[in-house]
Amino acid sequence: MQEHKVLVANRGEIAMRIVQACRKLGLDFVCVYTHEDRHSGHVALARSLGGERAACRVSSYHDANELMAVADHAGATAVHPGYGFFAEDFRFARRATNRDRKLIFIGPSWRVIRELGDKINTKRLARSLGVPTVPGSDKPIYDELEAEDIAASLFAFQAEQGIKRPMVLVKASAGGGGMGIEEVLDPDMFRAVYRRVRNYSRRQFHDEGVLIEQRIEDFNHLEVQVVSDRSGKNPVHFGTRNCTVQSTGRQKRIEVAPGFAPSEIAYTFDAQKVLDDIIGHSLTLARKVGYDSVGTWEWIVTRQGEPYLMEVNTRIQVENGVSAAISRIRGKNGVDIIAEQIRTGLGEPLGYTQEDVTFEGVGIEYRIIAEAPEDRFAPWVGRIDEFRWRDEPWLALHTQIPTDVAYDIPTEYDPNLALAIIWGKDLSEAKARGRGFLDGLTLKGENRQGGMRSNIAFLGDRTERLLVF
Amino acid sequence: MDTEKRLNELNERLRYVRDIFGARENENITLLATKLGDFQARERTLSEPERIRALAALEDLFAFLEKKLEAELTPMDKVRIVRHPQRICLKDILENVYDNYTEIGGRDEHSIDPAMLIARAYITRRKGKKVYNQPVMVIGQEKGHGQEFRNGGSVKPWGNAKALHYMKVAEIENIPIHTYVFTPGSYPVEDWPGAAQQIARNLYEMAALKVPVVSVFSEGGSGGAEAIGLADTRLMLSHGYYSVISPEGAAAIESGIRQGQRAPAELIETCARRLCITADDNLKNGYVDRIIQEPALGARVDDYGFFKQLRQEIIRATDEVVLSVKGIKLFRAMALRRRQRRGAPIDAEAIYVRWDLNTAARERLLSRRYAKFMRLSRHAFLDKRPAVKKACSACHDLGWSLYSFFRYDLWRKHHRRIAHAMAEMGAEVDVVKERVSRPWRRIFEKLGGGAAVPEANVERLTQLSAWEADGDAAEGDTAWRYVSPRAAEDRAVTCPNSEESGCLDLWAPDLFGDFAGVCSYCGHHFPMEYQWYLFNVFDERSVFEFNAEVESGNPLDYSGFDAKLEKAKQKLGRKSACMTFEAKVKGVKVVVAMLMAPFRGGSVGAAEGEKFIRAADRARKKHFPFLAYVHGTAGIRIQEGVNGVIQMPRCTMAVRRYIEAGGLYLVVYDTNSYAGPVASFLGCSPYQFAVRSANIGFAGPGVIKETTGLDIPPDYHRAYSALSRGHIQGIWDRRDIRNNLYQSLLTMGGRNLYYR
Amino acid sequence: MLDVTKLLEEIKASPYQEMEITAPQTGEVTFGGLAVGDKVVGPSGEFREKPGTTVATLTRERNPRPIRATQKGTVMEIFSDLEGTFVETGTPLVRIRHYLSKDEVQSAILRKALHLFRAPERAKYYFTPEVDTKIRAGGLESVHVREGMEILIMSRMKREAPLHYAGPDGVIYAVYFSPSQNVDAGAPLIGVCPPDQVALIQDVVVRVQTEWSEQD
Repeated sequence: MQEHKVLVANRGEIAMRIVQACRKLGLDFVCVYTHEDRHSGHVALARSLGGERAACRVSSYHDANELMAVADHAGATAVHPGYGFFAEDFRFARRATNRDRKLIFIGPSWRVIRELGDKINTKRLARSLGVPTVPGSDKPIYDELEAEDIAASLFAFQAEQGIKRPMVLVKASAGGGGMGIEEVLDPDMFRAVYRRVRNYSRRQFHDEGVLIEQRIEDFNHLEVQVVSDRSGKNPVHFGTRNCTVQSTGRQKRIEVAPGFAPSEIAYTFDAQKVLDDIIGHSLTLARKVGYDSVGTWEWIVTRQGEPYLMEVNTRIQVENGVSAAISRIRGKNGVDIIAEQIRTGLGEPLGYTQEDVTFEGVGIEYRIIAEAPEDRFAPWVGRIDEFRWRDEPWLALHTQIPTDVAYDIPTEYDPNLALAIIWGKDLSEAKARGRGFLDGLTLKGENRQGGMRSNIAFLGDRTERLLVF
Repeated sequence: MDTEKRLNELNERLRYVRDIFGARENENITLLATKLGDFQARERTLSEPERIRALAALEDLFAFLEKKLEAELTPMDKVRIVRHPQRICLKDILENVYDNYTEIGGRDEHSIDPAMLIARAYITRRKGKKVYNQPVMVIGQEKGHGQEFRNGGSVKPWGNAKALHYMKVAEIENIPIHTYVFTPGSYPVEDWPGAAQQIARNLYEMAALKVPVVSVFSEGGSGGAEAIGLADTRLMLSHGYYSVISPEGAAAIESGIRQGQRAPAELIETCARRLCITADDNLKNGYVDRIIQEPALGARVDDYGFFKQLRQEIIRATDEVVLSVKGIKLFRAMALRRRQRRGAPIDAEAIYVRWDLNTAARERLLSRRYAKFMRLSRHAFLDKRPAVKKACSACHDLGWSLYSFFRYDLWRKHHRRIAHAMAEMGAEVDVVKERVSRPWRRIFEKLGGGAAVPEANVERLTQLSAWEADGDAAEGDTAWRYVSPRAAEDRAVTCPNSEESGCLDLWAPDLFGDFAGVCSYCGHHFPMEYQWYLFNVFDERSVFEFNAEVESGNPLDYSGFDAKLEKAKQKLGRKSACMTFEAKVKGVKVVVAMLMAPFRGGSVGAAEGEKFIRAADRARKKHFPFLAYVHGTAGIRIQEGVNGVIQMPRCTMAVRRYIEAGGLYLVVYDTNSYAGPVASFLGCSPYQFAVRSANIGFAGPGVIKETTGLDIPPDYHRAYSALSRGHIQGIWDRRDIRNNLYQSLLTMGGRNLYYR
Repeated sequence: MLDVTKLLEEIKASPYQEMEITAPQTGEVTFGGLAVGDKVVGPSGEFREKPGTTVATLTRERNPRPIRATQKGTVMEIFSDLEGTFVETGTPLVRIRHYLSKDEVQSAILRKALHLFRAPERAKYYFTPEVDTKIRAGGLESVHVREGMEILIMSRMKREAPLHYAGPDGVIYAVYFSPSQNVDAGAPLIGVCPPDQVALIQDVVVRVQTEWSEQD
């Protein structure tokens, strides 16, 4: 395995963690960066660990051609996409795999990415295995009468469940990224909304297909961390996470592992059973598709304790560290899911089974971001003059912000500054340590409008009610 | 005094001869020049009688040598004759051939298009004491003896539109039309109504114009000529030319020179000969019906004898057309024929024929016109099938005609009536059933509590449903059945719009595979192979080719063309640029004629035209929609000369016949579609769509620059420009062609399509 | 008051602009037959349809891409030691000396005469749809700006905010940004000509047109 060289096709914090994982595994690596990112920590780290030529300037992280060219030039044999950018782009994975100078794509095989990247396909796959999904259609509906019929049943179905404000979601089946989605509260309005979405879809995507689903408002967002090797036969899970604390734009801000804490908090449903169920379902689906890398199964759990599979993220996630923090392999601490992804991606077998994985304590991950939560989480751009925290044995902090010099936040990318992962033996200890960490954090900076804005207060605020549902 | 004038005339004649013969040296011309020079040198020394005598001798010599030179005229000389400012033009004809006329719409440069002249005129015929004024509509290009604003008879789109307007007027007034073709070609601008599209409209209307049309060709430059040249009788002046392209244009293509350069003079001469453009050539090939003999070296303004002859010919031609379709005609027609046989100089005016037609005669006129054009150019393609096979396929055709009559005309009518009755009955029954069951249902509802969601409904909301996704979603790596061979290359491709739109390079396997040749950033469509459409647009395994044996030939024995043609046939494994087939689009059967760009640029010659016509016929007989899918066409195949040009009216007539029979004729343009085909059987469709990759127009940028001197913007011919100008009815994304086609089949077209 | 004569003299004293053409992407570079002293031209033709001179070719993923001159000028230096090697984005390839054109001189002087409205923050900027349509239809000068008018949209971090004009009333005379490029805080966005400056600005235009002769 040591003869491999990994192209780190990403930036910032995740690029740094990939570089560190490569080092840990004794692998050579090469990074890329853009002009705007020339002062980013990942460039400095790459150069300090790999020499001057370990970071290559490219025109854009979005240009696959640049990445391939750099990989060939540097003699890379594998590419790690991180998250975002090309992480879930099956065409990129396919290109890496199929091109003349082959690159191992550190992630699932491109067919798996494609299969699970299609939400309708995932939903149907889930239903075929008895995995619960959001009530509604699992195929594009083209017929108006059929659509009305489904909507009517959905309203009746919710009424029966005692939902106060039954709601139906109408979305263009060919759409994505929030485009062509509308809510219906009043059954009499359905036809008008349906036609509007259908016409929009026809104009925009040249397809009249429409999906009709229950709109669930009151839920917790849970995830199951799955890891598998290239055989795709024996996936293991690294527990659950709860990612319910989000910004108004549905961006995660705090993640907690495990997903619920039934031993410390009372729930109206059997929380432990829900966690067990979603883990079981996730692994069933992973086995079915032959999932061969690290991935996350996203679930929503309603107040009634009903879990529904939303989608599968076929990539490493920002919050992988919080699961690692509570996981032990054969009782040993220091699990690194990124390293596991690289190791198995390059072809090594997993080397352990589910019995070897145990869990201990509670992890909390804070995403420290330059933004103004009170102003709809508007991003803040400027210069960071000071960023300091106290090192603790229970704290892992990942950041691309240099701590010794001032740093201008590049406007081209999200203003994520750091990830702080806190561990405690139980939820209350983790929460207490988290509050302590946030209180002791120094983050100063300014721009022409004035002083630095960040979400630290927001994070502290939300720590109190973590995992309460 | 008189001598001076006569001398001037001789000088003028010498200059004319020199103009006609171009740069060529000729001993007869030298002789004329020396003799004339001699005379002028010693004129002063001569006495009056001597001078008159010498002048007379000189005039005789001129007349004699001009006759001699006449025999030496090359095709290119004739081109120079018709282009000469002294050549007769339409105004001269109106003055000298007709008895009275009024020009319609325009005076000199004050005209919507001074190159197109329309006049109402009449020919007076005396029968005993009676005087008949026979009105006609005269339409033709006016070169105006070199008047600049006439543009050399190069008609702009709106000029052709004006011509069409007055053809329709003549139709309403029930008077014959005389058209005079004096054009080097149409003015190739795309402004509304568009050079190509307007010619197409003219052809489409002329195909069924219900009055006699007689045309006279002097200069018949390709598309411009066709715009007014589709006639019942086509006469040609003996020194005229009728060609698919100017000899210069052909030479430019032949030598592959770039814009702005000139082809060598010898090559132009050679091309003029190869293209078979003279009156004799065209008579031999059947593209004109008669030749009107001109005086030596061509008719000029003061050749009054010629005008008299032209008058006779035009009257006779009109008489013949009318008589051939009239009810009571026997003796007069015979008389005309007899005189013709005798070869005697006929006096057409001796017989009187009324030129208006009744309804029955009009129908006969149209079917004669159709038959006439269908007979043309049949010699110009190859069909190597043995006679038995041909006979079989003819029987097969006949069988289909009968079948479709029974199936669609007889059976369908009755079937529909029964179906309607059944539907009404069913509705009645429903009402009764509802009435009867209402009390029972009420009781059930009370018992069951009503509102509960039935178990089956919950199941439907939460469990896997049955779904057959269109059947197309292929199992392989892409959604397409055919993938371009370019997708096999591991390389990046730059989108031509990358500069403006910031498109990143695309990986060839993605671009030519998954993306179907569409840039995922800006939507630019890279051209694709015709196979892509063949396999991805139509239902799987539904394509059934017919008439594959009809083969492109080299009817003019154009030198060097045999080899090129053979190469094209070898390379593609096809016998012509047109593939005709039946196929299905989501279950709807269609007949398709496809022009394929890789075969000689998708150019249309006799074989392509014939296949197109047969496909249209087949669609008509089977009551299928008819789709012209133009992967690409560069125009009419120039190496076939007029054999190619004649496909413009021929195919347009076939299309018209199909549409009038109640069919749906759709045109889809793909890569580049230019010139003749667009200006006829494609441009005449009411439903023309373009794939985003299409460029559509009459002439390419080079030709426009050459003929008009205009610099045109790079997007001039793009599909979006064509849409903005109103030339096409919509633009389709390549990936949606199949759906759009199906949608079109459902929503457009005539009454005789069986699947509705 | 602006001393146009003096400014013109200053520019005349150093009428050249040196430009460095850098690699817009990675790839293997070749310079073809380019030599120091060669003349190059930018895009030309009535519709700018003829591309500029190719100064180098970058081959990336088997796709050779020409790097073209954007301005008329003379090649001063070619980094020919790079020939045949892989270069990173941003690597200098060729240096070109460009003799200022009339338009460039004019805009250089105008920049001193106009009121410059500057970018408050580093971001991408573009005109509001209303202003944009106006400019498309009637050209820059058709837009009359007033204090407080919503004229631009500032876009950064995937968020957009309207930007209100501050400064004297007038018409837009120059635009210094392009919608796809980031503008640094403090850099000028537009140049506005107040009514009382119109005469001066017309004078600049006339002077430059008559006194500046373009050279190759």
